Amino acid sequence: MEPKIGVYICHCGTNIAGTVDVEAVTEFARQLPFVTVARNYTYMCSDPGQDLIRQDIKELGLNRIVVAACSPLMHERTYRRVCQESGLNPYLFEMANIREHCSWVTEDREAATEKAKALVSAAVRRVYYQEPLETKEVPVNPNTLVVGGGIAGIQAALEIAGAKHKVYLVEREPSIGGHMSQLDKTFPTLDCSACILTPKMSDVGSHPYIELMSYSEVAEVSGYVGNFKAKIKKKARYVDVDKCTGCGECTNACPVEVPNEFDLGLGQRKAIYRPFPQAVPNVFAIDKRGYPPCRVACPAGVNAQGYVALISQGKFKEALEVLRRTMPFAGVCGRVCTHPCESECERGKVDEPVSIRSLKRFMADYELSVGREKATPIERTKEDKVAVIGSGPAGLGCAYDLIREGYPVTVFEAAPQGGGLLRWGIPEYRLPKKVLDNEISYVEELGVEIKTNTPVKNLEEIFNQGYQAIFLATGAGISQKMGIPREDAKGVIHALDFLKQAGLGIKVDLGERVAVIGGGNAAVDAARVAKRLGAKEVSIVYRRSRAEMPAVSTEVDEAEREGVKLHILAAPVRVLAKDDRVTAIQCIRMELGEPDASGRRRPVPIEGSEFDMDVDSVIMAIGQGVDKAMLPQELEYTGGGTLVVDPVTLQTNIEGVFAGGDVVSGPADVIAAVAAGKEVAISIDRYLRGVDLKEGRPTPIKRVKEVSKEGVEAKARQAMPRLDPEKRGGFAEVELGFDEKAAIDEAKRCLNCGVCSECMECIKACEPEAINQEMEDEYEEIEVGNIIIATGYDAFDPSPLYHYGYGRLDNVITSLEFERMINASGPTAGEVLLKDGSHPRTVGIIHCVGSRDEKYHEYCSQVCCMYSMKFGHLIREHVPGAQVTEFYIDLRCVGKAFEEFYNRVLDEGTIFVRGRPGEVTDLAESPEEEGKLIIIGEDTLIGRQRRIPVDMVVLSTALEPRADAEEVARLFSISRSADGFFLEKHPKLDPVATMSDGIFVVGCCQSPKDIPHSVAQASAAAARALAMISAGSIEIEAATAVVDEELCSGCKICSDLCPFHAISFDEEKKVSRINDALCKGCGVCVAACPSGAITGRHFTVDELMAEIEGALV
Amino acid sequence: MAETMVKSPAIEVSFIDEVCSIPGGEAIRSCIQCGMCTGSCPTASRWDYPPRKAIAMVRAGLRKELLSSNSMWFCASCYTCTVRCPRDIKPADIMHALEVLAIRDGLSTKRSRTPVMYKCFVDSAKGNGRVYELGMMLKFFLRTNPFAALKMAPVGLGLFLHKRLPLKPNRIKGVGELKAILNEAKALGGAK
Repeated sequence: MEPKIGVYICHCGTNIAGTVDVEAVTEFARQLPFVTVARNYTYMCSDPGQDLIRQDIKELGLNRIVVAACSPLMHERTYRRVCQESGLNPYLFEMANIREHCSWVTEDREAATEKAKALVSAAVRRVYYQEPLETKEVPVNPNTLVVGGGIAGIQAALEIAGAKHKVYLVEREPSIGGHMSQLDKTFPTLDCSACILTPKMSDVGSHPYIELMSYSEVAEVSGYVGNFKAKIKKKARYVDVDKCTGCGECTNACPVEVPNEFDLGLGQRKAIYRPFPQAVPNVFAIDKRGYPPCRVACPAGVNAQGYVALISQGKFKEALEVLRRTMPFAGVCGRVCTHPCESECERGKVDEPVSIRSLKRFMADYELSVGREKATPIERTKEDKVAVIGSGPAGLGCAYDLIREGYPVTVFEAAPQGGGLLRWGIPEYRLPKKVLDNEISYVEELGVEIKTNTPVKNLEEIFNQGYQAIFLATGAGISQKMGIPREDAKGVIHALDFLKQAGLGIKVDLGERVAVIGGGNAAVDAARVAKRLGAKEVSIVYRRSRAEMPAVSTEVDEAEREGVKLHILAAPVRVLAKDDRVTAIQCIRMELGEPDASGRRRPVPIEGSEFDMDVDSVIMAIGQGVDKAMLPQELEYTGGGTLVVDPVTLQTNIEGVFAGGDVVSGPADVIAAVAAGKEVAISIDRYLRGVDLKEGRPTPIKRVKEVSKEGVEAKARQAMPRLDPEKRGGFAEVELGFDEKAAIDEAKRCLNCGVCSECMECIKACEPEAINQEMEDEYEEIEVGNIIIATGYDAFDPSPLYHYGYGRLDNVITSLEFERMINASGPTAGEVLLKDGSHPRTVGIIHCVGSRDEKYHEYCSQVCCMYSMKFGHLIREHVPGAQVTEFYIDLRCVGKAFEEFYNRVLDEGTIFVRGRPGEVTDLAESPEEEGKLIIIGEDTLIGRQRRIPVDMVVLSTALEPRADAEEVARLFSISRSADGFFLEKHPKLDPVATMSDGIFVVGCCQSPKDIPHSVAQASAAAARALAMISAGSIEIEAATAVVDEELCSGCKICSDLCPFHAISFDEEKKVSRINDALCKGCGVCVAACPSGAITGRHFTVDELMAEIEGALV
Repeated sequence: MAETMVKSPAIEVSFIDEVCSIPGGEAIRSCIQCGMCTGSCPTASRWDYPPRKAIAMVRAGLRKELLSSNSMWFCASCYTCTVRCPRDIKPADIMHALEVLAIRDGLSTKRSRTPVMYKCFVDSAKGNGRVYELGMMLKFFLRTNPFAALKMAPVGLGLFLHKRLPLKPNRIKGVGELKAILNEAKALGGAK
């Protein structure tokens, strides 16, 4: 059919006709090919204008229409409808934009007219090729997703649910309520924020059409208007929402206190908490940030934060229970542990690490002092018997775990008493035997059988006795030899033998002068014991420097204090003896060379520096080895003489035989041995249950990443009371331990790195059994037709404005902090208080902090003027007679009853100073300013500088986009405006919609606004969503892309690029296929297709080329 | 500086355009008169018209009144105003622009000695390529208040004893080139 084109040129009043010669353009249009008629009219979009087109279509039989007017965003829809009503396919219409692209951008009439002609020509040539297209309709899912549970989200959800359509309300925090729930009164009516908000919140909580997903976030969104799919991440709150009754017993039991975010850190909350009493849902949540560094650092994984937290609350018995969930040695490890936990303690970054070890000891001491109840034997639920050989920390650590799993465990010990090196290697003054006995008894009371005086050499025998698995924890009990001449002389004794004899009370004749060789704990112990046994002169000879001594450094300090001498950088070369009896020891001086494999600098002898030390005896403490004679022969050994085991399972070369502790590692510390024992317990349990030893084994835990130290004031650790060196003659314990007060004070220094300490007290307290410490994040997929985003704002942090002193000067607070302070349910119960607890007599309020400032936010935050004036009113209400000065640039009281409110606070006596202050300082220049904050600024209305002393400064901080606004924008495929807030579709005519159909933005995420505006927007968006729901279906743009299957090479480039997941691949035909319902016609695939197989409907090559040619006339 | 009714003959509406055309003066139109500059200024209490007000006067066209005031001469170039200005105006630069205009039109006030100091400084630097302190200060005191030199004598002596006040001028290499630069600057509209 021959094209018959009608061209209509709009004057748009003078908008176009003022610059473009519309007559000339009309005349020009008439000459263009296939143009049947060209007209111009004052307002083409008006009814008479539209009638012109209708009439011409009818009378002249036009089959193509071009309108040259404004942007198609404005009126394309109008003219398409005109065409459709006149029986013409709407896609046979084309619009030329001669207003925004032409008349509005120049004042040059001639040039404008020329450009208008070119644009008309382009449109006419293009419309020639346009083809009729059919629009499609898709059904609309009647469910709606509302993201954000502040007042805007609540309002939107209630509106839609009120129309009996399902709403999913997703809120990131444990409770809905948003910022409004933090406010005290609301301007200008001064009604209580909570009083008007909480009824709405509880409506949400109980509404049959609202599914409240609190403590949740939207993780993924796909689909398109009417048919979105969203994946919701339900964060583990560790409390069952359905079971929790909100009674609050758990919070009472919880020992961990952290700053309460809801009160901006002005108050404290527990690790298990609900943000505020009216929370909806009225359900608690546990704040778990990860594992505390102390727990991660402990080889045995002892939950130090757990017991420290409980000690801080005076719950000493409960604290010990926490430790005993992992291992039985509170008293032992509380004394001799090398405490890797303390090296990692985050408190150390503030001042000094928490004295974790001493606190652990305290729990054991406390139990001993009040008397321990006999432990209840554990029921044997398993039949397979386990044999543990050796009753040191590794053996007992393993037995302890296995007995608690229900296994019958027998420990075989060669010595007359249990404890291994704990008993024989560590002197009484460091680890009293009664402490060790108590802890061994505890293990025995649980049901572990310890057979003393029972050496085991033949494993076969043990298996024959019916034991199913064996743990070798025999330690490294023989002293190593130095290999120097005359080492065997009388008077040379090995440290372990010496300590053991001393421990048993066997008299050892040392003489007066003793040299101890070595720098480890055994050496220091031996030296101090020698001193206690009466040796006059005791020297430690060590080949490296003091810093490299492996012994615990406080032990070395104590040894020196007791009179032990240190000969560092010296090594013995021979023992000098007379009549086979030691007389002296020849040493050589050393210097430190290059670092060796252990990372410590290798000691190198200095030639010719030999010297003699006259001694009566020498104690060798240079290391211990594994006594192979005591072990079965079929075991495999490393070059270093220790047992070979699998590094993960700790199984030896014999099946069912495991080994750990010093026998594998060589001499190491107690906690490492306990850790090895625990690891073997896992292996043996798996072995006996027939589970693969390696697969699915618990992996090492990861430490919490960041620990806030904000507001932590430096406080040194509690000093450990020690026995006066002069009173240390006997074997009385040197370290005396904390008393209750010291322990509580020390425990309170803990920063609670993981927040929840997993002490499990809440579980005990929770009657409805709602707490599940093992809960994990869950994901749920929902399908919705519309999405309303109401994610709110963040309060601006004024710290970068150094001159206002926030975070630097006391009593400079932010507006939100002030809201919490003045709130009756806030941290000060509504009292306006200074740091010293008194009431401010004078308060300065600085407006526009972070707003109207190009360095931060250029925009006006819209609510600060009003809330600042509200503060003025409230301060005077709470502190009668207080003087309030407001520092403003301009007062923006634009809203219903706002100006009246301004008048009210003026009448009440609030003083207004026009001018943005330059700074806030505490440097007084006169006696009246002493002890005050001085606001320095210009009073611009009198044109002079002023210094105004006040007690408190409130910074009225800006509202800014959420920190994660960019991620949220990307998630929902919406845009942000230059200020960072979400961009609406049209600032005036479509303020709640976005460029993504079916997605709306309401409240402060769109721009700063007050509560009435947020509520109005929310209702508007709800109406928009409801309109779509009640229509039941929506029209989908017909301008989609289509694949020419003949040309498609099946490269799939298009499907990877498609942002709407509209392209699928037909595996049979090996071609791509586009789903019309999903395609948005963006054209990415068209441009990307290397074989030119994809055509964008309504944007075909012919159409675009014709348009370009037309524009080039 | 009595507050009087501002009437049309006193107003020169092109004043703001003039300031805008001087480097450093361009941003003056975006001032919101918040007072941050004056509030932050360590010397503003001595200014006839403190910085915010000076900017307002530029916009009001009170050219003669402002240029003959002592205001801009008190700017110590500490740039606190510039750092803090929420509109990214550079008030210190604007004050320097006003100084240029005041000198050019011979309006600079007698009540401030800063213009004389500037002149002495530039003259001294022009001749030698670097300032000859002793000569410059002598010239300055002779032109302003010779008796004030006595008060400054102990300071001068102290400087001299610390070898910070050479008796002879020190000349840089290529003084000719520097002069050419200064002449070019003058031709571009700098102060004479």
